[in-house]
Amino acid sequence: MQISANRNLNRPRLRGRKLTDDTPWAMLMLAPNIIGFFMFMVFPILATLFFSFTEYDLIGAPKIIGLDNYVELFRDPIIATTLNNTLVFTLITVPIGMAFSLLLAIFLDQKIAFKRFYRGAYFLPSITSMVAVSIVWQWIYNPEFGLMNYLLSFVGIRGITWLSSSSTSLLSLAIVNIWKSAGYNMMLFLAGLQGISNTYYEAGQLDGASKWKQFIHITLPMLSPTTFFIFIMSVISSFQVFDSVILMTKGGPGRSSSVLVHYLYQNAFQYFSMGYACAIAYLLFFIVLLVTMLNMRLERKIKEIF
Amino acid sequence: MNIKTKRIGTQVLSHLVLILGALIMLMPFIWMLTTSFKGLHEVFVIPPKWFGERLVWENYLQISSRFDYLAYFLNSIKVSVWVVFFQLLTSAMAGFAFARLNFRFRNQMFLLYLATMMVPMHVIIIPNFLQMRIYGLVNTLWSLMIPPMVSAFGTFLLRQFFITVPKDMDEAARIDGCTPLGIFFKICLPMAGSTIATLAIFSFMGIWNDYFTPLIYISNAVHYTLPLGLASMKGMYSTDWPVLMAATCISILPVLIAFLFAQDAFVKGVMLSGLKE
Amino acid sequence: MKNRLLMSMVAVILVLGICMGAMAEVTTITFMGWEASPLETEAVQAGIAKFEEQNPDIKVQYTPGLSGAEYVAKLLSTVAGNTTPDVFFIAAEDYRTFATKGVLEELTDKFSDSYRLDDFIPSVQDIMSIEGKVYGIQSCIVAPIVYYNKDIFDKLGIAYPDADPTNAMTAADFRELCKQLTIKNGDTVDTYGVYGLETSWLTIYPFMISNGTHPYTDDYMTSTFNTPETAEVLSWIRDIRVVDGSAPDATTLENIGMSAAQMLQTGKVAMIIDGSWALQQLSQMDFNIGMAPLPKFKEAVTNSFAHLHAISAASPNKEAAWKFVQFLSGMDYQGALVSEGLWMPNRVSMYEPEAVAQWYREDVHGESYLKMLDYFKNSVVGPMALQKSNKCQSILTEEADMFFKDGQPLDVTLQNIQDRTNEVLGKL
Repeated sequence: MQISANRNLNRPRLRGRKLTDDTPWAMLMLAPNIIGFFMFMVFPILATLFFSFTEYDLIGAPKIIGLDNYVELFRDPIIATTLNNTLVFTLITVPIGMAFSLLLAIFLDQKIAFKRFYRGAYFLPSITSMVAVSIVWQWIYNPEFGLMNYLLSFVGIRGITWLSSSSTSLLSLAIVNIWKSAGYNMMLFLAGLQGISNTYYEAGQLDGASKWKQFIHITLPMLSPTTFFIFIMSVISSFQVFDSVILMTKGGPGRSSSVLVHYLYQNAFQYFSMGYACAIAYLLFFIVLLVTMLNMRLERKIKEIF
Repeated sequence: MNIKTKRIGTQVLSHLVLILGALIMLMPFIWMLTTSFKGLHEVFVIPPKWFGERLVWENYLQISSRFDYLAYFLNSIKVSVWVVFFQLLTSAMAGFAFARLNFRFRNQMFLLYLATMMVPMHVIIIPNFLQMRIYGLVNTLWSLMIPPMVSAFGTFLLRQFFITVPKDMDEAARIDGCTPLGIFFKICLPMAGSTIATLAIFSFMGIWNDYFTPLIYISNAVHYTLPLGLASMKGMYSTDWPVLMAATCISILPVLIAFLFAQDAFVKGVMLSGLKE
Repeated sequence: MKNRLLMSMVAVILVLGICMGAMAEVTTITFMGWEASPLETEAVQAGIAKFEEQNPDIKVQYTPGLSGAEYVAKLLSTVAGNTTPDVFFIAAEDYRTFATKGVLEELTDKFSDSYRLDDFIPSVQDIMSIEGKVYGIQSCIVAPIVYYNKDIFDKLGIAYPDADPTNAMTAADFRELCKQLTIKNGDTVDTYGVYGLETSWLTIYPFMISNGTHPYTDDYMTSTFNTPETAEVLSWIRDIRVVDGSAPDATTLENIGMSAAQMLQTGKVAMIIDGSWALQQLSQMDFNIGMAPLPKFKEAVTNSFAHLHAISAASPNKEAAWKFVQFLSGMDYQGALVSEGLWMPNRVSMYEPEAVAQWYREDVHGESYLKMLDYFKNSVVGPMALQKSNKCQSILTEEADMFFKDGQPLDVTLQNIQDRTNEVLGKL
């Protein structure tokens, strides 16, 4: 998405003619937006950078301590743990979530009865608040009386303590997040699929390509812009996962489901270490930036291949 | 004959996959609904039962004493409507300016907007909190309503749309003496209906379901929004599952109704957001 | 006749005037607490109604906060946002931090006008007094004891545990008892012997103290967690579940989905170890409960703590707030909750026979409770109340989780807790 924006940056130029200067009008129309943008986006970003160089408990005045918070980031074993958990969470949710939603989209992208119903059913979790969702899922995950273990007992799997075992807590949260975002991603895939012109498939059929071959050689490449868009959006939101963690496991047991943002929250609002929390925020920002850039690179590479 | 059977086969297979998908997606909701009508003793049974012996309506009566639904709902509505309206207005005007007006530093400025889209919200929440404190707005609904009035994402989305509107029309309008503001309101805005709907749905979903921001800003139950109210209810009824589920059910009712009525708008909006240019 | 009419009219007008005058001067104070159960909320709301009745010039606006760690976050953000409630609950473990940061109004003078510090039981004094100064009044005390379902004992023909703390059973006997009470039915277990040993540090610490060890040095600046005595206690707790199978596998309430009281009621467990607050809920349930002191390692002891009621240093209504805090500590509020079984009194005078007669209720407390009065009065301060940083609590929870639920070796756990805690304390 960013790329296409960059490409368009120079477009609104009047071809060959002298540009009219609209500065007064632009100022008028931009003013409310820019004031808000600077007050509530740009200024806070800089303020957080400042706080990340301080020791600050939210109550007294911040005390400048230089790079100590950033040094601490590298020393603190909990950063390593939570960063690792964040990565694992992303590695589970993004590929599985994308595959699941693509599957649903492909089956829905045809003339089929009850399309509206299916579409609505898949989308329902996306519009529900995580607070509501977490309450139901906590009960579903209940090892003794919950639905999950009951259903699994039919295939002979028994006694999984979903949220309260360190080996499954993160996976449990991942499942909820996959479930919650699948419908939304499915819808994006559906839009992408509908954008692929039928002529490609007709050509493919003439060549005698099988459905699978068509999928690999036509659908996937043609869908790649959508895929990249969903990929980057999913990665970014996985890195920022917080609500489900605080609502369902509080990061436990141990630190097994604690993620970066959860640790940030704890430092800011429980441990009185706002400065350190701001440094964690910048760590997160840096990672998201890195992922976005890598993704753009990859997208360009793939485009060259096809 | 062969082709026809094959087509029916595909259809059956498709329905099987789709029904399975729908079951997975809907199961928690059904479970939520049926549990909300069970007695407490019917919850603790092995194997789990889908339905209780009778509908225990009392669960719904019990929540009303503690869960001030109407107040939370009105707070949520107030915040959402305000934020959505102003996000649309500021985004549309700025998007228009970025797309169709010539002024210095336009591209640099727009790049700045793009860059901030990558900033996680947790980076900005703390200074925003401190700002709201300076204005004395912490623990009021204003603290939830003011900061999100401008959205970088919305500005970007609208700019991408306005760029696609052919230039010829407003050039003609300009020659007729129409101001850029006039062009915006008379020509461009009416065409942007679906993009605006997209943004409206996005920001509505984000604001309505937001838990993190009210968690930090709001400490007086009078100003709780639905998600925060539900979360505080959860702390108290931690083991009274039927009552908790009843509260959960009524808390999702408003968006559910909104969705049922405007499903097509939702769907179109989401699809549009993923399309390039 | 006319005169009387006139008189009564004057009287009516006067009364109206006074009423309106009073209404004009109503002070509204904000009050934030948390809610552990619907019963507790009802009690708080009833208390507020009573206070407003007694003080028509003060209105209390109550906000239930979120529970647990979210409450600290909430409180901190109200402080940072200059919207701190006039009166609020503060957990004993957060009291010192918030007091030293200047959030709590110092009440030493007001306090000594109305109360004597030495009337509070020793463990409460330890918590309330910070270098001789008082910043809040502790609500009550809560201490863990053993509750048991008499019907299960009867069914198995096992004698009830003795309620007299001088005859408290030993840890080894208790483990044996748990085994006897566990009723197996083929592969599944119908009734477990005990639940609640490992759910919170309020229930683990007293065993450590009973075994003659303490998690911190006297000044709480160094962790002394890694001792053989602690190891003995932790492995005893783990073995009851893992080796003997006499405690349910689930180690958290969320996991079971039932409250401890519900488990006892339904006969899923024969005994629970829970805070004294459970008595309120238990006494309203329809089954025979019994109470006993905690099993002992070396000496019979329990520990106690409870939240405090504090006034914000920034409150504009300190006088009204103080009145309310006093009300919360008085017979009408604390006394009522003690009567209901939610709390236990925190003042020595409340344990005198004539005071006990005022709050004791046969149908709630029962005879075995009376035998434990001294046990409660002499309870030691729960170490979490005096710890220097709430990070210590996070460390304990994390490491104990890994030990109890995930099989992290005992020696690693003890060493981790001590090292990590000392690192945090070293930075203070």
